[in-house]
Amino acid sequence: MAKSERAHTGMNKLLCTGIVIIGLLGALAILAPFISPYEPTLIDATSLLMPPSCAHPLGTDSLGRDLLSRIIYGARISLSIGIIAVGISLCIGVITGSIAGYFGGLADSVIMRSADIMLCFPTFFLILAVVAVLEPSIINIMVIIGLTSWMGIARLIRSEILSLKEREFIQAAKAIGASHMRIICRHLLPNALGPVFVNATLGIAGAILLESALSFLGLGVQPPVPSWGNILIESKATLGVAWWITLFPGLAIFVTILGFNFIAEGLRRQWDYNA
Amino acid sequence: MLNYIARRLISSIPVLLGITVISFAVIHLVPGKPTSIESALNPKVSLQVRERLEKLYGLNKPIHVQYLEWTRRLLKFDFGRSFSDGRPVIEKIAERLPLTVTINALSMFFILVIAIPLGVRSAQASGSWFDTITTFFVFLFFAAPTFWVALLLMQFVCIKLGALPISGITSLDFEYFTFPQKIADIARHLILPVGVSCITGLAAVSRYMRTSMREALQQPYIYTARAKGLPERVVLYKHAFRNAVLPIITILGLSIPGLIGGSVIFESLFALPGIGRLFYEAVMMRDYPLIMAEVVLGALLTMAGNLIADISYAYVDPRIRYGKK
Amino acid sequence: MLEISNLHVHFDLNGTIVKALCGVALGVGPKETLAVAGESGSGKTVTALSVTRLLPSSARVTSGEIYFNGDDLLLLGEGALRKVRGKEIAYIFQEPGTFLNPVYTVGNQIMEPLLLHQGLSRAEAFAEALKLLALVRIKQGRRVFFSYPHQLSGGMNQRIGIAMSLACRPRLLIADEPTTALDVTTETEILDLLCELKSNFGFSLLFITHNLSIARRIADRICVMHKGFVVEEADTERIFSSPQHFHTKELIRAYQAIGTL
Repeated sequence: MAKSERAHTGMNKLLCTGIVIIGLLGALAILAPFISPYEPTLIDATSLLMPPSCAHPLGTDSLGRDLLSRIIYGARISLSIGIIAVGISLCIGVITGSIAGYFGGLADSVIMRSADIMLCFPTFFLILAVVAVLEPSIINIMVIIGLTSWMGIARLIRSEILSLKEREFIQAAKAIGASHMRIICRHLLPNALGPVFVNATLGIAGAILLESALSFLGLGVQPPVPSWGNILIESKATLGVAWWITLFPGLAIFVTILGFNFIAEGLRRQWDYNA
Repeated sequence: MLNYIARRLISSIPVLLGITVISFAVIHLVPGKPTSIESALNPKVSLQVRERLEKLYGLNKPIHVQYLEWTRRLLKFDFGRSFSDGRPVIEKIAERLPLTVTINALSMFFILVIAIPLGVRSAQASGSWFDTITTFFVFLFFAAPTFWVALLLMQFVCIKLGALPISGITSLDFEYFTFPQKIADIARHLILPVGVSCITGLAAVSRYMRTSMREALQQPYIYTARAKGLPERVVLYKHAFRNAVLPIITILGLSIPGLIGGSVIFESLFALPGIGRLFYEAVMMRDYPLIMAEVVLGALLTMAGNLIADISYAYVDPRIRYGKK
Repeated sequence: MLEISNLHVHFDLNGTIVKALCGVALGVGPKETLAVAGESGSGKTVTALSVTRLLPSSARVTSGEIYFNGDDLLLLGEGALRKVRGKEIAYIFQEPGTFLNPVYTVGNQIMEPLLLHQGLSRAEAFAEALKLLALVRIKQGRRVFFSYPHQLSGGMNQRIGIAMSLACRPRLLIADEPTTALDVTTETEILDLLCELKSNFGFSLLFITHNLSIARRIADRICVMHKGFVVEEADTERIFSSPQHFHTKELIRAYQAIGTL
């Protein structure tokens, strides 16, 4: 019974919760300079490794930097990396998927084979390997994550286009002489983009997770620029001593990913009922 | 069936080729020579040694020649020697591979054993409190960054409670243990790593099983089964389950790259001597032969996993196994 | 034999109530063939499925009685109902390929009711299954027994469906548009087979169809449904010679237009 009520409200609860969470996060990221109590890189030798207190609500790290500020600025980094990386993979994925699905033939085989090959590599291995050769920088990370995540979207778009291709409205468009480009952009893609949204949302969460893991290993965002992942580096060294350094950054990652997952699942449920 | 296997194996060949191309390209086509001064953080490698290595690896030759030579050596399983200690790469990998494989296999085993029944029960009791609570935990597990959970657990279970060892694969006085004690010791060291690496998989598989089961239960043949008067238990486990479990095989195959990639973090965190940690060390030291070998290996393992998954699926689904008569 | 009276069924779809049956009443006598005819959405299948409560969980029977040999089936518990299903009342469905489980052999599925309701051993059930396959005029029974549904044609699968349903010699066979998905030649074969089996085994047949020409061929009486009601019920010939209700006339007119009547 509860499920049916949820489905019938305009936007289901899951979707709303997700949007609220990510909205708050986005606000934090944008307003960082205004709401952050301290400079994230401000070293304060007098308050090293302090547990949460009034002055430092989330505690400080081993260089006396305020954790709350670092986490707020970390939101900027993580969100921007996530969004841009997924943006890149969307571009690549949509273009390759459209070409593969629409034109078929050799283009299709080549593109899909490439996707198959790329999918064989554990993403993490590839990314690490590239980082080993290039220096880890924020731009590099965005690009690499983008370059290694396009395959899922390409496949989705391709299969959607394949199934839409034979429908009447496409035949009609062809009959009146619309160019390929026009057919793809105007008619096919808008219909195919539905599942891609869900995929992209989850992709942002995945990208944020990847970046955190990379930074945690020291191969992502480099200190002193704060990223949730690289704040956690310290937690290894301060395991028994400073629980707040382990808890809060990780919690930030967790809640963010949860938020995006809620949105993705909420979208999926929404469209399932409307379909 | 054999036909299918043969076709599948043949279509793997271009993929294998592609893997070698990309593995090679990743290291060589990005700006900066593999032994260039800026990127080699390894101070042990002096200029002379570096020049010798360059000649040895033919790094002065044009790129496609380098590729061909590398691939030729690959076919002989010669992955070259590690930059860091000169040992043959293949040896270093071989001694660490069993542990990673064991951990991942155990992980998959537990995922299957726990997630499948959970998923089935959730589908059966759709909408009940059991379903709601399971869904809640699925969301949590799926979103939790595993390295964070590992850190939290280490903090809590190992340090505060002292219940499990924090790192390594064996205790300090391992050599003095009797055989059963040795097994127990290794098991204790494996509990956390295996447990933590299961988390995402548990969430994913149980969710997928639930969806798959619910779909299966909507199928027409379920009406037939019920119309025959079969007990609900039989309808569920004999008719629905057998169909619902098929896609799980594919899912398992698809989760292998994730498990392999994840091993980098786990093994580093828990100080386990597996190929993940080896890879991490190689990256830190810019040990290119080792890096390239691991990348190829990772891809090969994934491909093997997918192949096995596909073939198992073909075996288990009569529509593919027997084809049309 | 089967007496349905005042049956009301609605579906609860996420809060919206959809009325499927609004007081359906019909009856099938022993050894009789009743055809239930009507357009799609008239409630024919829902009526058929209601008899042994095979409806999906969103369905609610709000009132009515379904008497089968004196017992109201709607009042039976699950356990007792399962004894009726397959044993006393059996079904054959529309698309035989999808109504058979693709991952088990056809023989395995035929044996299920035999093992369950008649307590036969596997060997006995196997022999009986082969006999059933012969009964539905399937040659090479052994080979077919070990085949999977996707390896057989639609006609074959439907014969297997029939064999499966007759396994325990039910007294009532409910057939929901069994030939709609088949080509005309196969359709005729299946209909002939059904009639022959009916006269040999003496079961009653409740035959759902939207095709009046089939109804005319095989039914003793016809019951016309429209939007969840039974609008007319009478002997076959009387329905065609003097249809009373508007919708009956519409249905007949539609079939005359196609030229199959």
